Parts: sequence; structure tokens; C-alpha cells
Amino acid sequence: MSDRFPRAVEMGLAGCQTCGKVSPLVLGRCPRCDSKLFMRKPDSVRRTVAFMLAAAALYIPANVLPMMSMVEMGVVTENTIIGGIIYFWQGEAYPIALVILTASIIIPLLKMVALTWLCLAASGKIKPSPGTLSRIYWLTELMGRWSMVDIFVVGILVALVQLGNYMTVSPGPGALAFAGVVVLTMFAAISFDPRLLWDRFDALQIGSSPSKEIDS
Amino acid sequence: MWNAVWKALANYPSEWSLVHKMKKTFFRLRRELSPWPRLPGGAHFAACHFCDTLHEAEPLAEGKAALCRCCGEVLYQNRPASLARVTAFSLTALILMVVVNLFPFLVMDGAGIRTTLNLVSGAKALVASGSPLLGIALALFTIVTPLVLASGLLYVCAPLMIGKIAPGATHVAKWLNRMEPWNMIEVFLLGVLVSLLKLDKVADVNFGMGFWAFGVVMLCMAAAVSGIDRDELWDRLEVARK
Repeated sequence: MSDRFPRAVEMGLAGCQTCGKVSPLVLGRCPRCDSKLFMRKPDSVRRTVAFMLAAAALYIPANVLPMMSMVEMGVVTENTIIGGIIYFWQGEAYPIALVILTASIIIPLLKMVALTWLCLAASGKIKPSPGTLSRIYWLTELMGRWSMVDIFVVGILVALVQLGNYMTVSPGPGALAFAGVVVLTMFAAISFDPRLLWDRFDALQIGSSPSKEIDS
Repeated sequence: MWNAVWKALANYPSEWSLVHKMKKTFFRLRRELSPWPRLPGGAHFAACHFCDTLHEAEPLAEGKAALCRCCGEVLYQNRPASLARVTAFSLTALILMVVVNLFPFLVMDGAGIRTTLNLVSGAKALVASGSPLLGIALALFTIVTPLVLASGLLYVCAPLMIGKIAPGATHVAKWLNRMEPWNMIEVFLLGVLVSLLKLDKVADVNFGMGFWAFGVVMLCMAAAVSGIDRDELWDRLEVARK
């Protein structure tokens, strides 16, 4: 204990997630902003895993089903995410191809990998290194919104390209699935509590497992 | 390595520039006019968001940040002139939102038809073509959230500058905190750029005034949100309520 910094939870104190005020946990609600006080975010790991599994399940239709269908002179072309990237790559628009590749494929994948890693570390399945992992968590929270760009592109194209018989664009089922992936991974990141990583780390230092209450 | 980068970002040395000196004088004057109220009672504490380490929270000089002694993340900051910044930028954003709604984002000439895109037409077209959920999501992330965020920040921060609290301001502030990640103006602007490049071969597409205005709205919103000094805001709310 002596070489470790004191954690708020050991003194029965909790920092409010909304306003930051540190108050006794027994109060139940923050005296300043009336948010609920938690030792750790409730059911953090379980909620994160649930949101993530849902996102992973939606990730498949999001990539297989078309994001939008284009009717050009009566000919229907269906565009998937990867199709869009290949279209730009073949048109030698490399920067834009890379932007879509990063936003639509790499970020959601990396996010799911990162959250799996975080959940495994927080539940003690693998060795936690809280310094690095907190940084990864911070990045995950920051990057998630950028995946939404493909959905916005679909919306804009549907609104703009209504040229009667010449060319029209309509949204496909993949777009809804992909929007689901983005929103669910954002919820997953919000539900995760990085303090669990340090709880694990502390427990390893002391050589015992953290108490059941903190674990949940 | 990351720790060093993070620390360098948290207290960047900008003491040298003339702009900084002018800002310093301005902030000193402003601080003397309405000082950050110190809460009554003894020592105040701060718990790190990442590792829950308990610290005694000491007042900081403006523009400085306190780092956690355990994990090195930012514990709390004293952001300079936060209320004035938030008020000014969110008011600007709100006024520009009107401009954004008056002018088109993109103007497309193709097959003898001119179509224009404005802020609401994307959401409307999605609803009309049979994806109401997507349309609602688009409207929520690019219209509703920025509007509510900007007007809410103005509602909370403007009266606080003269030490008053607007009715229900604590609830509003609480919800603003939760809404922050869902404001996707910048992502929408990237979407406009990608669409422009996508349509380049099909038709003649040009930026409208709305695009540039929305760009400025994005900058204002970013400045307003990053101007919020959470600790100062809540301390002031707490003092004003009494």
C-alpha cells in the first residue's frame, strides 16, 4: 500500500462523472449536479461487451450489403463500402480512397479490437498495462465519430443526385447496418470505465483479486 | 514517449509571443473583474478519471493544467476566460446557423437540372426515400445536437458571467456534457467533401455559401466546446445557486 497512490474509492469517495466533484459514495447522488454517484461505471465490462458484440454482428451486413444503389439510364449499380474505395482507387483519387478506407473499415475494426483488448484486460484475462491502455481508450473515444462519414455521404448523394431518368441514388440496407455499427461502438466506448484497468493493476501489485463490488 | 508528447501539449510554452502578452493583460483585467469563486469549506479534492487517484485540488494559474501524479493524464485545467469564450463562440455559431440554413452547401448542374443541397435536404431525402431511421440519425447528429449544444452553452454561460444562474441551468449543463460526443459537424463537412469528389465526374459541382458558413460554425463549436472549463463552470454554478 505504501508505495502506491491513494485511490478515491479506498476512502469511500467517488469523483462525479459529470461535474468532477469528489464526494462520499454514501450520498448516492452528487450534491452539486445531482447525477448518480458510482464507484465505477455500472456493469462497465458487460455493457461494453454487449454493445460490441451487437456492433460486430452488424459489421458483416454493413460490409456485404450495398450502402446505396445508383440507377443510371435504367442500369442499377449497387455500391458497397469496399466498392466505393475501389472506385476511388481506380480513378486514381488515392487520398480520398484512403480517407474512406480509414474511416469506414480501419477505424471500426481497430475500435472493436481495442475494446476487446480493454475488456480482456479489465476482467483480468490478460495482463493489464494501464498506461498504454488508457491512451488507447482515449483514442477509441476520439476516433469513433469519424466512421459516420460514409453515412453522411449517402445522405448527401441521395439528396443531390435526383436527376429524373438520367440518374438517381437511393440508400441501401447496408447504410442502416453501418450506422448501427458506428452508434453501437460509440456506446461501447462510453460504457467502458478505464479505472477498471488500474483496479486490476493494483490488485496484481498487491497479489489479490479486486473485490467483487469493484469488479462488476 | 507518449507521456512526453502529452505533457508538452498540456502546457505548451507560449509565453514568448506578443499576442500572448496582450492576452495575459486582458485575462488579468478580466479575472480581476470577475474572479473564479473559491468554494467555501476546507480542502477540495479531485479524482483522476483514468486511475481514480485522489489529489488535493490546488488552484492553478490560467492556462495551466494539473496532471495526475499516478498516470500522467490531465486531472483538471484552468482554461483562460472560459465563460467569455464559450459565450462568444456559441453565440457566433448560433447566428451563423441561420446563414447556413439560408444558403446551399453544394450546387450541382448535371443533365440540364440544377440541384442544391442544404443542411436539411440530406435528412429529408433519406426520410423520403424510405430510410427514416437514417434520416433521423443524420438530422440528430448534424442539426439538432449542434443547435442544442450551442444554445445550451449560451443559456448556461452567459448569465454566469455576471454571477447569475439561469433557471434549470444545472440540468442543462449536465445534459450538455452527455451530448458532446454526438456533435458531428466536422464529420459532415468531410462527407460533403467526399461527395463533391464522388460527383465530380458526373456533373458540375460547386461549393455554396452554406458550406463556408458551416465551416465557420464547425470552428466556433470546436472553440466553444474546448473552451469549457468544467471545474470553473461547476464551481460558478454552485456559488451562483446559493
